[in-house]
Amino acid sequence: MNAGDALIDILASDFEIIYSPTFIDLKEIPNVDLAIVEGGVRTKEDERLIREVRAKCRTLVALGLCATHGGITSLGNMVSLKNLMEKEYSLIDTTKLPELEDLMYPVCNFVDVDYYVPGCPPMPLLIIHTLKSIVSGKKPLRHETVVCTECHRKIVPARLDRLYGVYEKAVDPTLCLVSQGFVCLGSLTREGCGAPCPRAGFTCFGCRGPPDSMMYRSRDMYAFLVKVIAARTSIPEATIKEELYRNPFVFHTFIFSSFERAKTRERVI
Amino acid sequence: MTKEITISPTTRIEGHGKVTITLDDSGNVADAIFYCTEIRGFEYFLKGMEADRLPFIISRICGVCSTAHIMASVEAIESIYKTEITVTAKQLRELLLMGQIINNHSLVCYFLTLPDFWFPLEEDSSKRNIFQIMRERPDIGKKAIALRSFGARILDVIGKREVHILSVIPGGVVYPLKPQEREELLKEAENAYTITLEALNMGKELFEKNWTDFKKAGDYKTHYMALTKNNTIDFYSGKIRIINTEGKTIADVAPSDYMNHIEEKTSSWTYAKFAYLKILGWPQGIVQVGPTARINVNNRATTKVANAEMQEFKNKYGNPAHATILLDYARLIDLMYAVERAKELLENVELTRDDTRVKVERRNGKGVGVVEAPRGTLAHEYVLDNFGRLEQLKLMIPTQINNLAINLNVKDAATQFIRNGEIKPGLLNRIEMITRAYDPCIKCATRQTGEKLKVEIRDPRGRVVMVL
Repeated sequence: MNAGDALIDILASDFEIIYSPTFIDLKEIPNVDLAIVEGGVRTKEDERLIREVRAKCRTLVALGLCATHGGITSLGNMVSLKNLMEKEYSLIDTTKLPELEDLMYPVCNFVDVDYYVPGCPPMPLLIIHTLKSIVSGKKPLRHETVVCTECHRKIVPARLDRLYGVYEKAVDPTLCLVSQGFVCLGSLTREGCGAPCPRAGFTCFGCRGPPDSMMYRSRDMYAFLVKVIAARTSIPEATIKEELYRNPFVFHTFIFSSFERAKTRERVI
Repeated sequence: MTKEITISPTTRIEGHGKVTITLDDSGNVADAIFYCTEIRGFEYFLKGMEADRLPFIISRICGVCSTAHIMASVEAIESIYKTEITVTAKQLRELLLMGQIINNHSLVCYFLTLPDFWFPLEEDSSKRNIFQIMRERPDIGKKAIALRSFGARILDVIGKREVHILSVIPGGVVYPLKPQEREELLKEAENAYTITLEALNMGKELFEKNWTDFKKAGDYKTHYMALTKNNTIDFYSGKIRIINTEGKTIADVAPSDYMNHIEEKTSSWTYAKFAYLKILGWPQGIVQVGPTARINVNNRATTKVANAEMQEFKNKYGNPAHATILLDYARLIDLMYAVERAKELLENVELTRDDTRVKVERRNGKGVGVVEAPRGTLAHEYVLDNFGRLEQLKLMIPTQINNLAINLNVKDAATQFIRNGEIKPGLLNRIEMITRAYDPCIKCATRQTGEKLKVEIRDPRGRVVMVL
């Protein structure tokens, strides 16, 4: 919707929206050329639905971090299903409501996805680009490396004694945020967004998920982040580790633990 | 023989819902239920989160109302820190909130509810949507997008991102507004004002054409609740006023005291909880929030056109007004107010002052933040521990508060359409219109993922007789 006029153009030319519970009253999913899916799988009903969608479309695009990687909703995986049901929903009658899955999953755990457009929220231009490419039969342009490549800030190794909280001090407008002692995840996050957060002086939260180089199971993102921060701030690695481990949420804001990396590596836009 | 009718998924709402109607032996409506079929559990996984990061994560509850959640969240943290922010920061925040209202209401008015008023009831349901209207009248589609873009622009320029804004933090707003940005936004505001005036006139005309037909469905009388400041509509500050079915004030509550007046309960058939007024108990404490509630609770609006419309609304439909479908009308007045107020704020050159931020002093304790979100009064309550981490969290979401009223009004509407086993045509969409009028946001109410709506008719043994 935020694509504005580009949305009107695209609707006027190549696309006809056939099914969308948010905008159209059709209750049954028809056969389509292209299906775009948002959100992850939390209930058995969601699972049935995603399988149905896959069977009825030629190309399937997963849109947004919940669908592609799990996202914020998979933070819910920290609480066991049993715990949740006992504490909050002990009265629930599952004959009337869809049964919950044991965990929250991204859609790729159930079906084969043709393209992934991660982001929270995904950038309108990326969506438009992906859709146009698919229609014209071309492969969409992939964004393989990290947010730092799109950020204007200069990486200057600094001499700091500790890390800083998100708003603990004023932000220098031209210097790399990590060099200033903030925990910016740009160096571990896929580019393609145009780095709006670091540009505006906020640390990257990692909402586009890991870049290609991080999509191998052997990669330890935590260790990598510690190295990046150490190189840019001269703070001893041990101190950084201590600081990062002390705060459980620095890194796991957007979880992608159950993400099937090998399967998806070449398809993330 | 009793039967059950199910509508699934409820379309043109945000989130997944389902409606079930049970018929008694004579074929009349015995009960009707609106289900939410998703679940997420934010209250659990946010525990231990440091306060600085909290607003950003909590905004992910919902992409539609992310700004309102951030405001409530930051206000709650500030009330714990005992921070008094500057006037400039307050105005910028109010402007952001207006951007949120414009963004959301233009979506709901044009894209979700307009098709119900635009097309006759008999119209093929595959045509009853905004894309068909855009094909017939491309100018309306363009205006809808332009209006929504104005809301998004405010969020982008001041909030630094269109969705999940960044700049609102405990202590104020990070970056001041530049004079040039103010002038650009003001120009867009004037354009938005013209579009909204047109929308209001068109909406009123369509509404009145349909009013006699629609008014009978969902006329349940409830209490109402909204923020109020000197008896005028206010989205950002003030106290919470609760009025009874006659329009008499029964309580004026300070935000810090709000959570003591509301109680929640779960039910066996929905993942969304129900909220009600504690003093009156369940189910007498039924209360509604949202556009109609804002008009019912307040006497006037501070802006010119919205105030005139509001008085007209009160004269025509009563004070307080009860019919569910009036929510669609009231939402247009809300939209008008938001555009006028945004314009008013932008006209003030003081808005570009650079004193947008004060230093915060971290403290522990308990705090509440209350704002008017697009769907009604939204509150966040946090308890922070000695390390500045979240210890306890309670959210009071408008759709939870409206949940009981939605159910009762769906039942009411179903009763109008089903007599002695005979189902009048148009049932399905009419019932959906009731849920749609509330614009229920199921994501927030359940803090969960995923739901849909379907209508099935079942016999007493639970066998499906018919699927609509």
